[in-house]
Amino acid sequence: MKFTFKGGIHPFEGKELTMDKEVKEYLPKGDMVYPLSQHIGAPAKAVVKKGDRVLVGQLIAEAGGFVSANIHSSVSGTVKAIEPRLTASGSKVNSIVVENDSLYESVEFKGNTKPLDEISKEEILDAIKAAGVVGMGGAGFPTHVKLSPKEPDKIDTIIVNASECEPYLTSDYRRIMDEADKVVGGLRIVLTMFPGAKGIIGIENNKPKAIKLLKEKVAEFDNITVNVLKTKYPEGAERQLIYANTGRYINSKMLPADVGCIVHNVDTVYAIYEAVREGRPLIDRLVTISGDAVKEPCNILTKMGTSYAELIEAAGGFKSTPEKIISGGPMMGKALYSVEVPAMKSTSAILCMSKDEVAEYEESPCIRCGKCVSVCPGRVMPNTLATLVENNNIDEFLKLNGMECCECGCCSYVCPAKRHLTQTIAGARKLVLANNKK
Amino acid sequence: MDDFKLKVSASPHVRSKDNTSDIMFDVIIALVPATIFGIWQFGSHAAILVAACMISAVLFEALYQYGMKKKITVSDCSAALTGLLLALNLPPTLPVWMAVVGSAFAIIIVKQLFGGLGQNFMNPALAARCFLVLTFGRFMTNFVIDGVTAATPLARLKMGLPIDLGNMFFGNIAGTIGETSAIALLIGAAYLLIKRIIAPTIPLIYIGTFAICIVIYAITQDFEVLDYTLAHLCGGGLMLGAWFMATDYVTSPITTKGKVVFGIILGLLTFVLRIFGSTPEGVSYAIIFSNLLVPLIEKATVPKAFGQGADIKKEDKKSKKDKVDEEDSKSDDREDKNILPDYTKETKKDKESKTKSKMDLKSIVKAIAAIFVITLIMGAALGVVYNITKDPIAETKEKAKQEAYETVFPSADRVVVEELDYASINELFHQFTSDDITMDELGIAVDSSNNALGYVITVTNSAGYNGDIQMMVGIDFSGVIQGISFLTLNETVGFGMEAENEKFLNQFIGKKVELFSYTKTGSNSPSEIDAISGATITTSAVVDSVNAVLIFVILLGGGF
Repeated sequence: MKFTFKGGIHPFEGKELTMDKEVKEYLPKGDMVYPLSQHIGAPAKAVVKKGDRVLVGQLIAEAGGFVSANIHSSVSGTVKAIEPRLTASGSKVNSIVVENDSLYESVEFKGNTKPLDEISKEEILDAIKAAGVVGMGGAGFPTHVKLSPKEPDKIDTIIVNASECEPYLTSDYRRIMDEADKVVGGLRIVLTMFPGAKGIIGIENNKPKAIKLLKEKVAEFDNITVNVLKTKYPEGAERQLIYANTGRYINSKMLPADVGCIVHNVDTVYAIYEAVREGRPLIDRLVTISGDAVKEPCNILTKMGTSYAELIEAAGGFKSTPEKIISGGPMMGKALYSVEVPAMKSTSAILCMSKDEVAEYEESPCIRCGKCVSVCPGRVMPNTLATLVENNNIDEFLKLNGMECCECGCCSYVCPAKRHLTQTIAGARKLVLANNKK
Repeated sequence: MDDFKLKVSASPHVRSKDNTSDIMFDVIIALVPATIFGIWQFGSHAAILVAACMISAVLFEALYQYGMKKKITVSDCSAALTGLLLALNLPPTLPVWMAVVGSAFAIIIVKQLFGGLGQNFMNPALAARCFLVLTFGRFMTNFVIDGVTAATPLARLKMGLPIDLGNMFFGNIAGTIGETSAIALLIGAAYLLIKRIIAPTIPLIYIGTFAICIVIYAITQDFEVLDYTLAHLCGGGLMLGAWFMATDYVTSPITTKGKVVFGIILGLLTFVLRIFGSTPEGVSYAIIFSNLLVPLIEKATVPKAFGQGADIKKEDKKSKKDKVDEEDSKSDDREDKNILPDYTKETKKDKESKTKSKMDLKSIVKAIAAIFVITLIMGAALGVVYNITKDPIAETKEKAKQEAYETVFPSADRVVVEELDYASINELFHQFTSDDITMDELGIAVDSSNNALGYVITVTNSAGYNGDIQMMVGIDFSGVIQGISFLTLNETVGFGMEAENEKFLNQFIGKKVELFSYTKTGSNSPSEIDAISGATITTSAVVDSVNAVLIFVILLGGGF
């Protein structure tokens, strides 16, 4: 509360639409699609072929390298095809398609029930790796890689990102309210891997019930604290979150481990708990279905691979004709052109808007009001950077720290001239990153 | 379910409600108190000027954009705001057509020709004001209060006359339409601050820097420090300039550091211009000059990005610890990192940029230092020049006076100046002559054996074509004009300035008449003076002044 990063914005939260509603469990009926690349790193390699029968929890694709993750079937059925399918990212990705037989025959899950101090680091890592856990906040970075830093002794802080600063999103909040024990349990498992480290659960102060509950749950553990953060976007951005919790700075070229931190999303630590204690692979997740075009906004506990169309139907379907559907939060999520895409490990929300705010506004010239500069959590000058990009001056763009932009969207949000600042800068960043790879 | 079309765009998908025209409109609202006060104080002509400026500014913008086949953007309120700001910076007596010329200059030359909204390099309203001052100087400095011409408080301060602080705060003073009431301006500023349209950085730093300079100056000059400082803060365009013009988004730096530097430069410049400049006011010039420095200031104050340099520090420490180890582990890292996403890879470019960012810091410090040093040197130089030239100027003046004595009374050895109560003499005097003419000095011309020969009288006539005409007239006790010399003559070159011509002046010399008159059709008697062609006003002023001297000598009982 006392300590926060400079900048940030307070957009309309929209969380009350789904915040206090009970989670709906939904069992999909249609075909399931498992993209082989739903994490950062190498695509997974399919270990089944067309015509194979698969069970719930069965490994269908294995990690294609160190930075990669396993993928499991979330239903029982028959492999129908292995072919490129459209995903929420907008491109086609090689995917395993399983015809769901709705029987939900499952493989047997076997958890490790040994007391915490008897479980070895390797056992934990293996379990996490086997379960295919990846960062569920959106980036999808394989968790076992994150938990294998170069210098493990230097890690002194494990941060659980419970800030959920994106508007509309409440899946992490529901997870805490319903499964606080498992969330804290997951953090404790991670802490046993780094005996010297302390755990911090960073949560925004707009979730008083969750704060109270978490504080009760961690009271008995000396090495875990609940850190109440100021409610503002992007409090949950990794760099800003680390700073708000520890006062340490990292830039775009550094990893959290460089300052002794590892950051996990709430859902990720929950998945770690399930992977280690229950032996469950990552096959279901909580998805917030919200927005003014949805009949019954809610959080749905669903199986990975379910199509967005089915999930929206499960939330009562459309109330009005949607003009824009976003996968993820409104600040950083992706606009979809089709809802025939599968839920993946990093799918946090499906937002259906009856009106596209962005299309309503027209761009006008920059009046140099400086709002973008004052809200920028990366402390760059978005207006100047965008102009440089428009003039194709990439050298100057780099000189003025263009690569430090985290694409959080604050500048575009506040711009009174409605300039597409984030979009312009993000485009240039992609270009530079692509050129660096050459 | 399938019957809908989705719009696709890159994130973010939400926008704040702010927009350009609302911001501009808010600034207009914030100026309403000052505008209403100005109109209430100065009357209907002020209202006409405000309306004329706003309407013409909008029209000029629309016409230009229509003519250039551009999108017409007057609905963003920015042209109306420029018009209003210009009007508030005009004296309430200015002819309407001049105000319209000013708004054309602001909108077309300063704003549109440089690319329109967001591209102008200096504040359009202030640039137009300065343009008008240069073009229509006499009209732009014609300040009134209660319909009577009066000096502005700053002009009075500069002349060493007393001022009334209470009036200055509430605005019952001479000045431009919008600048007089500090309280009305502050109410508007508070509105802008509450609505978060402006940050207080620039105005506070600006006013603060200026106040510090003024306090120091007041102490060194032995003035009443508090009164003098408050008068400077409430007087002139400082409040209007600091809160509404210096904070103009387009022409002020974006970064906080830049705003601080900008404010300091503004404060120093305003101080230098007001105290050492030739005019009592300096806010407009200070702001438009600082506007020109904004790109430089911004370049020098690029903010440090989040976490910038965090990795350098770490590496420095490491390299001190064990360089050899580092080398080894690095080659290992590379292999490890190759499979990681690219942003974790340290490319050559990154390293370059690291050293660069170090260099940048140096150049930033250098540039800031340079700006400061330049401003300081400029201020100091002006001060030094003023002080060096102060005495020589007085000497030169004295010398000119002595020379004038010789010209106007060639037979005298010297002139003894009488210390008289000129105020009461003039009061008496004005019962017989025009109020425009005042006597400044009465001297007695004496020869080498101390015999009084006559009078040397200095008079000022404010009815010249271009302000005051100060002249010295020598007249002996018999009433014969001995000579005439001008001490101040600012008439039109080629016309009024011909008054200095001997041919014209010689018409007076050696004559003894009751009163002179002038004619345009050729002189027929000694008392008729041929007017300077094309300069009737100047001729009339000179003749009136000489006549006043004649009357004065009679009043003194000159004995003829």
